[in-house]
Amino acid sequence: MTIAPPRPTTDARRAFFDARPADSAAVDLSVRIGSLTLANPVMPASGCFGPSLGRLIPVAELGAVVTKTVFGTPRGGNAAHRLTEIRAGMVNSVGIPSRGAAGYLASQHPLYLALGVPVIVSVGGHRPGEYAPVVQGLRGAGDAYELNVSCPNLDRHGTDIGSDPDAIGTVVRLVRQETDKPLIVKLPVLVSSIADCAQAAEAAGADAVCVANSIPALPLTADTRSPVLGNVIGGLSGPNIRPIVLRLVWLAARAVDIPVIACGGIETADDALDYFSVGARAVQVGTASFGRPFAMVDITRALQERCLAAGAADIGELIELWRA
Amino acid sequence: MTSTTGNTPAAPATAAETPAVAAAREDLAALRRQQAFAAADEAALDGLIAVRPPERRPRPDPVWDDAPVLVHEVVGERYRRLVLATDTIATTALAGQFLMITVPPAEGERILLPRPMAIHRRHPEQGTVEVIYGVAGRGTTALADVAVGESLLVTGPLGRGFEFPDAAEPDAALPTAAHPRPARTALMIGRGVGVCAIMGSVEDAARLGIAATVVLSGRSRANLIGPADCAELGARVIPVTDDDGSSALPALGGRLRGLFGSAPPDVILVCGAGVLARLAAELGAEWGVPVQVSLEAHMACGLGYCHGCAAPVATDPAVEGPLVCVDGPVFDAVLPGG
Repeated sequence: MTIAPPRPTTDARRAFFDARPADSAAVDLSVRIGSLTLANPVMPASGCFGPSLGRLIPVAELGAVVTKTVFGTPRGGNAAHRLTEIRAGMVNSVGIPSRGAAGYLASQHPLYLALGVPVIVSVGGHRPGEYAPVVQGLRGAGDAYELNVSCPNLDRHGTDIGSDPDAIGTVVRLVRQETDKPLIVKLPVLVSSIADCAQAAEAAGADAVCVANSIPALPLTADTRSPVLGNVIGGLSGPNIRPIVLRLVWLAARAVDIPVIACGGIETADDALDYFSVGARAVQVGTASFGRPFAMVDITRALQERCLAAGAADIGELIELWRA
Repeated sequence: MTSTTGNTPAAPATAAETPAVAAAREDLAALRRQQAFAAADEAALDGLIAVRPPERRPRPDPVWDDAPVLVHEVVGERYRRLVLATDTIATTALAGQFLMITVPPAEGERILLPRPMAIHRRHPEQGTVEVIYGVAGRGTTALADVAVGESLLVTGPLGRGFEFPDAAEPDAALPTAAHPRPARTALMIGRGVGVCAIMGSVEDAARLGIAATVVLSGRSRANLIGPADCAELGARVIPVTDDDGSSALPALGGRLRGLFGSAPPDVILVCGAGVLARLAAELGAEWGVPVQVSLEAHMACGLGYCHGCAAPVATDPAVEGPLVCVDGPVFDAVLPGG
C-alpha cells in the first residue's frame, strides 16, 4: 500500500543530519565521570529517550545515552492516564515499566549499544538492598550506572531512598561491591539537604551525582477536580522547574568534588549554560525532547559554537570570559 | 450519539435564583451529561481491544519536518483543517497513521508536549497532508492561532494503521473473522474527528477498487467531517447526526443490519467513540468479519519510549501492556469471548 514517491522527497530531519558540524580541535567539550570520558556533556534524562529516537536525530553527537530505569524483576507500569500537561508543565506517572535485568539485556541493550555512544544504564529498586542485584544481573552491560534513588523505600514506609543520606550510602556501597564502573546517583528534589545527600553518595564511592528529578505533583481535571493520573501523583517537569533545580545544583556543587550532572527543565544551550555557571559539569535533557526531538543535539552543537565564537577552549573558560 | 441516560438532573430552579446561579446550574448539568457519556464510552471498550497480528508490510521510517502551513481554515462549527507541506510524510504515510504536531510558542502560552493527530488525507503528488482537529484544550486553542505561511514541527508518520484483509490463510476452508477473505467491500464508521483516522482507508479503497460505505457521525449536518472527501473518493456515505436521532446506537445498528444483513462487508473499520467500536464488534461477530478500531491516548513521544499511552487492555500486572502509539493506534475489536 506504500505510494511510490513521485519525486525526490525532502524533510528537515535529513537536513539536520547533514548539518553535523566539523569536529573542532580548538574546543574541548569532554567531561570525565569517574573512569569514563564523555565526548561532550549532553545526554538524555532517563525515561525521556529510547533507541527509536535514533531514527530522528544523530545520537552519535551526544555525550552518552541513559536508559529507562531497569528494575530487578518485570513491572507493568501504572494505569492510564500516565501523563498530562498542565500550565505548570508536564506531569507523568508512567510507573517505570521494566522487563527486568534479563529482559533488558535480551531486548533493549543491543539497541542501545548500536547507537555508538556510551550507555549509562539507569537502575532502580524499592529497597536499598535491591540495587546491587540488578547491577549484578546486568552482567557488566553498560558503561556506567545511574542509581535512580527517587523510588519509595519499602523498608522505610515509602520515604524516598534518595531523601535519606544513610540509605543513599547503603545503596552506593552495595553496588560498588558489584562493579568498578562509574556510578551516578540521581537525587530527588524533595530532600531536607541536597548537600547531605550528595556528600553521602560521594563518601560511599559514587563518581557523580545527578541533580535532580521531576517534582512530585497532583494534577486535577478542570471540571470535576478529580485526579488526572491513574496513580494520582506524578512528577512535574519542564522549563518551570529550572529555577528550583538550579538552586539544588548550586548547593550540591558546593558540597562535593565529584561532578554534578544537572537535570531540570533544560531546553536550550542557554539553559545548559545557566547550570554550568552554578557548577554543573554535564546536563540531562528530558521533557524538551518530546516537543523538539533534536533539542539535545541542538544544545551540543550550540555549546561548541558558543565556545568557538568566544575563543574559549572549553565551557569553563567560556564562563570565566563572561565574568572577567 | 446516544441518549444521555443515567444522569441525575440538577435540583430544580427556585424563584429566587439569580442568573449566575442559573448559569452555574446549567454548567453542572452539562458536566454530568458529559461525565456519563465519557464513562459509557470508556466502559464500551472493556475487554474489546486486542493487538493486531504482525503487519504484512514494514512501516515507513518516521521523520520530523518543518512543515509550512498552506491552508488553515475553519470547518463546520467546531473544527479546523490544516494543509501541511511535508513531502516525505505525504509520500510514505499509510492509512490510519498519525503525526505528532508541536504547537509553537505564542504570546503568554507555552505548550510543551506535541499533540497526536490522525493524518486525514495524503496528497503525495502535491507533497501535502491534511489534518483536522477540534479546538478543545490549551494545546489546540494555541494551535488555532498558527497562521498560513508559518511552519509547524511535525513528526511522523507514526503508529500502526488500518489494513484491508488481502489474503485468506491457505488452510482456511472458509473465511472467518480470523482468516478473512480479501476485501472487496468495506464498512467504515467515524465520529467527529475520528473520521480522520479512517479517511486514509477510504483513499486506499478508491485506489484498490474496494467498495466503501462510510458512516459519518456527528452532532449535526454542519459538523460532519468528510462528506466532500468521500464524494471525491467515490465512497457511499451514510450521514448520521445527534440532532435528528439517526446517530443513536439502536437506530444506527438497525440501519446497518438492514443494509448489510444479507451481504456483509468484508471488513469494518471504526474510530471516534468507544460505543461505536462496540457496535462494530457486535456487527462483526454477527457477520463473521474482522473489525479494526483506532484509539486515542495521552502521549508525549509517539515513538514508544515515553510509555505514556497504555492501551485499555487488561494484562498481567508484571508485564507492560500494549502502547497506543506503537502497538496501535489501530487494534482489533473483538467481543469478549468472541
